[in-house]
Amino acid sequence: MTELFVKIGTPDFLNDGLVIAIVGYVIVFSALVVLYFVFANFSKVINYNIRKKLRKEGKGDQVKEKELQISGDEAAAISMAIYLYHELHDEESNVITIKKVSKRYSPWSSKIYGLRNYKS
Amino acid sequence: MKNKTVKKALTVFGIIAILTLVTNTTSLFESKAQEADTGNSKEIVKDTTASEEQDISMDEIEEKSLSGIRKFLSYTGFNNATPGHLVMLLVGLFFIFLAIKYDYEPLLLVPIGTGIIMGNIPFFQADGINLQLGIYQEGSVLNYLYYGVVKGIYPPLIFLGIGAMTDFSSLISNPRLMLLGAAAQVGIFLTFLGAIFLGFNLPEAGSIGIIGGADGPTAIFLSSKLANGEIINGLQTANLIGPIAIAAYSYMALVPVIQPPIMRLLTSKRERRIKMKPPRSVSKVEKIIFPIVGLLLTTFISPGALPLLGMLFFGNILKESGVTKRLADTARTSMIDIVTILLGLTVGASTQADVFLTSQSILIFVLGALSFMVATAGGLMFAKVMNLFLSKDNKINPLVGASGVSAVPDSARVVHAEGLKNDPSNHLLMHAMAPNVSGVIGSAVAAGILLSFLL
Repeated sequence: MTELFVKIGTPDFLNDGLVIAIVGYVIVFSALVVLYFVFANFSKVINYNIRKKLRKEGKGDQVKEKELQISGDEAAAISMAIYLYHELHDEESNVITIKKVSKRYSPWSSKIYGLRNYKS
Repeated sequence: MKNKTVKKALTVFGIIAILTLVTNTTSLFESKAQEADTGNSKEIVKDTTASEEQDISMDEIEEKSLSGIRKFLSYTGFNNATPGHLVMLLVGLFFIFLAIKYDYEPLLLVPIGTGIIMGNIPFFQADGINLQLGIYQEGSVLNYLYYGVVKGIYPPLIFLGIGAMTDFSSLISNPRLMLLGAAAQVGIFLTFLGAIFLGFNLPEAGSIGIIGGADGPTAIFLSSKLANGEIINGLQTANLIGPIAIAAYSYMALVPVIQPPIMRLLTSKRERRIKMKPPRSVSKVEKIIFPIVGLLLTTFISPGALPLLGMLFFGNILKESGVTKRLADTARTSMIDIVTILLGLTVGASTQADVFLTSQSILIFVLGALSFMVATAGGLMFAKVMNLFLSKDNKINPLVGASGVSAVPDSARVVHAEGLKNDPSNHLLMHAMAPNVSGVIGSAVAAGILLSFLL
């Protein structure tokens, strides 16, 4: 326990520590800020082709960036609707096929097992 | 309910009391037997000079059997147990109890708790004798398994599994939440300074500080490099891998206990009810490009984090590429399970009483708790600051900031539960996952920076 109190009084590496802490935290923060900027603008790059098409159609200025993105809820609703459409309106081939089933020998269909055997 | 717990506590204490009694009686018996042996032997030699021939053979057999029994007793755990061993056995039992009774991170606490028990089974130790039993004895099975901890092999493998199971889409859809993960890393650097104040040298302080990242594998990785008992950068370091790992994993398991009071303290009820916009859907291309760009950017900034971040993003590429399903499945199921078992068991076993029960360990536990609290507060406060600059429709629920610590996904779950308590229709899980995974990236970057500064 005395060792513990002796330690508290002597911050030997405080200056070095302060420099490392401040510089380190700034680097961590800036690394994630860089990632933030990259991915904040990334969707714009992804939507470049869509914008190009819209511009050809003359709607380039009418559609805002946010309108090009759909929320997860909307995506879920659309996929559910498509799924249900296929479930309800499933198309059948209208061809009736009768498959001939040929059964091989089985103890269940054996005549021998169906008879009682008496010992004479 | 209370009676039951009292009964259970009494049973545990009873067992410990019996153990100590047995330990004391065996050592008493042994010392008396030794006294009797030395005192009486001289008289016996004087009296029995005539009828030696017959008696010698009987004496020899007696002596041999007695010495055999004595040797056996000296090798038993009862004879070698110290109060430290008993304390650590209790700690191990407590971990297992917490995992089973309260479901606190059972996948971690059961292997760690069992490891603590295995590592603290008392056995005969003397200079120059290596029974190859303990984790610190060269050639023992536990020592071989511990190699993965000491050399920092297990943590990157855990990161591979985490990468293969993490969906970064919440982060990609709302990248500004990444800043909350960055803000929460303040815990690491403040704890680093706190450790220096308490007298730890720079490498040791760096490894203690990383507990504030609330990331067990990162903490083990960094302490295996900076606080492994060797000379680092001209400074003699203590072996702090055990205490740091136990502190990191304990606080990770205690996220549901530590975080909610801080959340309630630093946020108003109105703030806790803020509803955030639903995240946009993320395309497959974005999901594939994120780990590649993330890997390049983060490791170019902090190459020291390559083993961790490289594996994390590699795991995510396996998941998102869509063509390596088998590899991704193995990484996120069997492989991570195997490594978790080995890591948990060996980290637990590394808490051998004579190495673990020191004043330094107590300090590490105190600093760890503080760093965890500071990290939580850092994320919360930064979310509040961000809200000052955001429009009314785009406000962030400050609770989400608390998940900036990288305890994935526990912290996000706690935020979600806390949000539901204030408004049962406010589901924050997906929003909270964004700072949570960015916290993993942030703490790994911080570990890389500390490594490059201190190694």
